[in-house]
Amino acid sequence: MPENRDPVVHLDRQFWIVTAVLAVLAALSILFWIWAPITGIMPEAVDKAQQIDALFRFLAATGTALWIFICGYVLYFALAFRRRAGTPENAVGIQIHDNNKLEFWWTVVPTVFVVLMAIFSIRIWYGIEIAPSNTLVVEAIGHQWYYTFRYPNVNGEVKEMHLPLGQPVTLNVTAADVIHSFWIPAMRLKQDMVPGLINTMEFTPTRPGKYEIICTEFCGVNHGLMHSGTEENPAYVYIDQPAQYAAWYARTEREQAHASNAIAAPASARLKLAGGDPKAGAQIFATKCSACHAVGPFDQRIVGPGLKGVLYDPAHPQLVDGDKATPENVAKIIQNGYKGSMGQMPNQTSNALSNKDIVNLVAYLKTLR
Amino acid sequence: MAATAVHASGGLADHIHPEPQGFVRKYVFSIDHKIIGIQYMITAFLFMILGGMLAELIRVQLMKASGGLMTPETYNEVYSIHGSTMVWLVIIPLLTGGFGNLIFPVQIGARDVAFPWLNMLSFWIFPVAGLMLYASFLMGAPTAGWTEYPPMSLQGQAGTSMWAAAIFLIGVSSTMTGINFLVTILKMRAPGMTYTRMPLFVWGQFVTAPLLMIATTALGAALAALFVQRQFGVAFFDPARGGSPLLWQHMFWFYSHPAVYIMILPAFGMISEILPTFSRKPIFGYKMIAFSSCAIAILGFMVWAHHMFTSGLAPALQLPFMVLTMLIAIPTGVKIFSWVATLWGGVIHMTTSMMFAIGFLATFTLGGITGVFLAAVPFDLHAHGTYFIVAHLHYVLVGGSLMGILAGLFYWYPKMTGRLMNETLGKWAFWLFFIGFNGTFLPMHWLGMWGQPRRVAMYDPQFQGWNQVASWFSFVMTAALILVLINALWSMRSGKRSGHNPWNARTLEWQIPSPMPYYNFKHVPSVFAAPYDFAEPLPYRGLEEELTGAPPPVPAAH
Repeated sequence: MPENRDPVVHLDRQFWIVTAVLAVLAALSILFWIWAPITGIMPEAVDKAQQIDALFRFLAATGTALWIFICGYVLYFALAFRRRAGTPENAVGIQIHDNNKLEFWWTVVPTVFVVLMAIFSIRIWYGIEIAPSNTLVVEAIGHQWYYTFRYPNVNGEVKEMHLPLGQPVTLNVTAADVIHSFWIPAMRLKQDMVPGLINTMEFTPTRPGKYEIICTEFCGVNHGLMHSGTEENPAYVYIDQPAQYAAWYARTEREQAHASNAIAAPASARLKLAGGDPKAGAQIFATKCSACHAVGPFDQRIVGPGLKGVLYDPAHPQLVDGDKATPENVAKIIQNGYKGSMGQMPNQTSNALSNKDIVNLVAYLKTLR
Repeated sequence: MAATAVHASGGLADHIHPEPQGFVRKYVFSIDHKIIGIQYMITAFLFMILGGMLAELIRVQLMKASGGLMTPETYNEVYSIHGSTMVWLVIIPLLTGGFGNLIFPVQIGARDVAFPWLNMLSFWIFPVAGLMLYASFLMGAPTAGWTEYPPMSLQGQAGTSMWAAAIFLIGVSSTMTGINFLVTILKMRAPGMTYTRMPLFVWGQFVTAPLLMIATTALGAALAALFVQRQFGVAFFDPARGGSPLLWQHMFWFYSHPAVYIMILPAFGMISEILPTFSRKPIFGYKMIAFSSCAIAILGFMVWAHHMFTSGLAPALQLPFMVLTMLIAIPTGVKIFSWVATLWGGVIHMTTSMMFAIGFLATFTLGGITGVFLAAVPFDLHAHGTYFIVAHLHYVLVGGSLMGILAGLFYWYPKMTGRLMNETLGKWAFWLFFIGFNGTFLPMHWLGMWGQPRRVAMYDPQFQGWNQVASWFSFVMTAALILVLINALWSMRSGKRSGHNPWNARTLEWQIPSPMPYYNFKHVPSVFAAPYDFAEPLPYRGLEEELTGAPPPVPAAH
């Protein structure tokens, strides 16, 4: 076998000098990651963030050191063993095929590191996955393109999320339409908000402040705006001192006393349209619809088409979504919203329309001949 | 010669088709693996130009935090088609149908693949599917990224169904290629070409073929379900009607994680050929490199759910997926260490091909290391779905697969054309590419860590500076690729003539003329050692007439 013919290898002084230099560089990189001012860039808002940062420092230090060694040797070998001018065309390198001892060690040492990494990760993972007792349970719901929150004993959904400092929290996340994600970089935690599924995060807030929530799962045209950067969709979590939190909670509980606890009817539910009040509908139209829709012919567009004769226009027997122009189908668009070639319209929830409002609106639209 | 004589009595390798004469049968509907390989490459490089243009649209858009160029709708279409193009129409076809077809049958001493007609069919599905993918722009292209997670993809425009159909077809083509290559390697090796004598590029294809066969079927099923739900309303992914959005994610990643290895194992094979040739040294640890490829392929099937750590995966599943994913670092590390050791003590010819191979060692390794970070569930909870992922995947697919492809292009170009690519232009291209690539994707690591999510048409203004850095460097990288393209086109007519073996390489494809003749070999050779002993005579018998004017073999009577 060729292995038996392999020449005996001697590593020269230069090799060990290079190795020493790389070891120094690797050590410096490890020191860098131990020192790196991560919290100066991103504060650690919850207990889990500190643990995850510790794991990151370990991973980054190990990874950088390894990368320095590999690139260092590659660069050194490429320069030291490059073919020099005058080397004959048929010159060959040192004909070694393998070295069992070396291969054993470079399998075993990375295995040890992987095991260490796994143990470290599992310990932190265990802390993240196992719920502390006596938690405050909060629910976050993703919508296209904003978040709402529900609190125990508070009716309806609220637009701000407040958490008390030092109180273990269980956060249940889900979505109303498509998959969103709930990420607070300052917490280093994220869970996808999946329709029909409740995912859970557990943590204890450790630092007061206002932190942004970011969506990291593509969720439609305004996905990129689904963070605190926009005014219409403030996506923040506030970590308050317990007294401040208690005051906010009491106020919210009072304000929401008459809010409906029922989540808006599922999109496909059909409304009974009988008994609508056109007058009430006209009022709602003026406050909620007229910014985008004129009481004029189809072509008189503001954002959406004019709605005069929407149910009777022989030139437009179909609605923008292709359905027949019937009261039921108009109600459906108001319920579900619309997105398509004509632009887009928010749904019932975003427009804060009750089912009764929609019935009245349709009754009003019927009167526009 | 005895072995050859035995073989001539009707073995698979001697089932010879007569050489076609007409232009159409020779260059269009060809059943010759070499022509098909070149067809794959030309088609894939054309799609790469399109995919690259889309990439630059992305980078121009992101130069402004508010998104300067396109509406969010258009931007979403652009990155979705960019990703789909690069994965399915560029990297996979180049590495399997392209370089695989062109090189590995010759390397095992075969005259063609096992099923030449199937091979032709595999190829011709590919441009059709590619055109279908681009036709989806006319109907409103998909917008939910190359992963097309429902329910978002259910809301997508009409072209999303076209996308599903196109990718399904590409999958059919891949599956057929996988079967074809696997049977070829199992049954058509020249006498004496034992498994431990196969060149490592053949090992790369050998391990990739089953991945293509097995994994792609899961993708096909997922795409069919998506298509059926979109077109006929069968609720596979709708929780309100008993479906689950996570079903798609499981099926998609059951394919797409092995697909990551489909996109890198052949590139590993290329690097394992190029490093020894230009170091004039045997590959270090041949058996461990071959064995580690197998380990990676097997483990590759058991880690798909690490893409779903934040999706709502049961804790009992997170743990094994985390540990199994970390284990892949071990065989990958063994490969990298073996490549580095191959350089030691060599006589290194610093050709363009070698520079790309060495660049691969630096950039792929970084992508591999960040992959281990992401395997750790707690870190993934922070980094998932951000630009950190974008950085990681481009370090693997561009810094790994594409670097390998470029190394392979400079290396095997003479085998296609009989000419060398220009070295001066090539070295310029390497340095521009290396600098441009790292400048583009390195900043994305910290952009993601600091809070920039992926797939956004506009972003927090605090990230604008680094996004502009990435964009400017991406122009450098594009310039480098244009330089490679010019080089390849110019060299076709004006490159230096290469002769049959310009690199003094030892695998079988270099022992026959360039460009390679229709039958590959006048006599099927026999093999008596692995091809990497540079100090020894060539380990083949029966090649004496390959470079002479001796007549080609006679087709079997039909």
